[in-house]
Amino acid sequence: MKFLKSLSSKKSQLPVVSEPQMKRGSISARDVEISFSNDKQNHIAATNINLDINAGEFVCLLGPSGCGKSTLLNAVAGFIQPTAGTLTQDGQAITEPGRDRGMVFQSHSLFPWKTVLGNIMHGPLMSGQSRSNAEGTARTFLELVGLSAYANSYPKLLSGGMKQRVGIARALANYPSVLMMDEPFGALDAQTRLMMQEELLKLWDDLKISVLFVTHDIDEAIFLADRVIVMSASPGQLIADIKIDLPRPRNSDTTLSLEFLEFKRQCSLLIREQTLAAFEQQH
Amino acid sequence: MALKINYNIIAQFSSIPLFLLLWQWVSDAEIVNPLLFPPPTRVAEAFYRWATDGPLIMDVAMSVSRVVVGFTLGSVVGIFVGMLTGRYQLVASLLTPIFGILRPIPPIAFVPLVILWFGLSEVGKYFLVFWGVFFTVWIATHLGVQRVDQTYIRAARCLGTPEHRMLSEVLFPGSLPFIFVGLRTSVSIAFYTLVAAELAGAFSGVVYRIDIAQQNLQIGQVMAGLLILGFMSAITDKLFSVITQRIGWWE
Repeated sequence: MKFLKSLSSKKSQLPVVSEPQMKRGSISARDVEISFSNDKQNHIAATNINLDINAGEFVCLLGPSGCGKSTLLNAVAGFIQPTAGTLTQDGQAITEPGRDRGMVFQSHSLFPWKTVLGNIMHGPLMSGQSRSNAEGTARTFLELVGLSAYANSYPKLLSGGMKQRVGIARALANYPSVLMMDEPFGALDAQTRLMMQEELLKLWDDLKISVLFVTHDIDEAIFLADRVIVMSASPGQLIADIKIDLPRPRNSDTTLSLEFLEFKRQCSLLIREQTLAAFEQQH
Repeated sequence: MALKINYNIIAQFSSIPLFLLLWQWVSDAEIVNPLLFPPPTRVAEAFYRWATDGPLIMDVAMSVSRVVVGFTLGSVVGIFVGMLTGRYQLVASLLTPIFGILRPIPPIAFVPLVILWFGLSEVGKYFLVFWGVFFTVWIATHLGVQRVDQTYIRAARCLGTPEHRMLSEVLFPGSLPFIFVGLRTSVSIAFYTLVAAELAGAFSGVVYRIDIAQQNLQIGQVMAGLLILGFMSAITDKLFSVITQRIGWWE
């Protein structure tokens, strides 16, 4: 809560990103297929993926574990190349990871040898900013996630939720137009997770960047997203694109509304079908 | 109130005095030939004469300089090559077979060749220590780089880290714990090779002086020299364990 307060009072100091120059941050996938082959067999992780994420949209990719949603996210990030089809950001083919697409990992992946501030400064420094500029940027985002007091701490001293906030600040410090999140709150306890979700929505509302958020948690997906894309069991395909028109700003009451429960019922059915299918495949 | 006696501490503090007493007694009682096994008092006397009338400081300085120069060169080159072979498969494919042949050769075996190449100059000594240190540091760095958590590398790429900064920003700090294990191991290797280098022919140095004293049957000085060597080696190791703790501050 302290964080939310500090955020609203700091609104005037927010980075210029809130004034979108041109609407950037759209992602487009056309007939994308991703497969891995080892010596003997070819494993198709995801196939027939057609997806459009509009600039500034919050999209959750929901699916049972092992359905290939993280693989798809890794392709959008540029870590792996689609075996077929095209994957573009604002019309440009995605060929490698880049600072315009920030990523928050499930295992926070903060550099343990750098301080919290050092971690957030990393991106700006790598883009050639001077130390003082990079530090200024880093402090802005550190304040945005409410951890200014921990600037000089090492990550090992932080709790799981704090580490993820630093991870988010680090990704945002590069002013990306797309933020990708791979089950970032999966390892957190339920209370912390709820708080982080609200904080994330607040950040997103201020920064107006596109978010592609991977999760297997139905409540989380509905609570956060403009659209929930449901993915089928392996090989992963997109089987539903559900527009979540719940009013914003959303808070814990949102999850108790009838509309929310209706979305939840819809998603649960789909996910259960897929989980059963996946289970049968394996047995 | 009964005073609690900590026998461990007593044992710890009496360990070395007891050893010296036993040694003194064995020599004085002439259980062994005192000429070949002088008592600690005679060793201390020899040390004192070496320090006051003899070239002790010069000998220690020469030995230390050989270790320091050889070790520094070997570590720097070892870390550098290890970073490259750890990161770039092509470099690894090129160098690993060669290193595979050279690495198992004990550095001491190079002494005859080194004398031919460099004579009895300091360069030859530096070279031997370098040779001993290099491979250990190289392989520790190589393995360390390969064991750096992949998510750090991914995160760094996402943050726009250019490839040439990846080594210094992520792979080097990420493999430091491994590198330090390699450095610490190679400190003792540096001292081993120093012994070989000085025995093979030198004009000064602690081991050289031990060799000369042995030829003159000055066993007191031989033993004093051994203790000095042990002391130097132990101090360096202690130094490294302190630095290692500092280096792994984030662990």
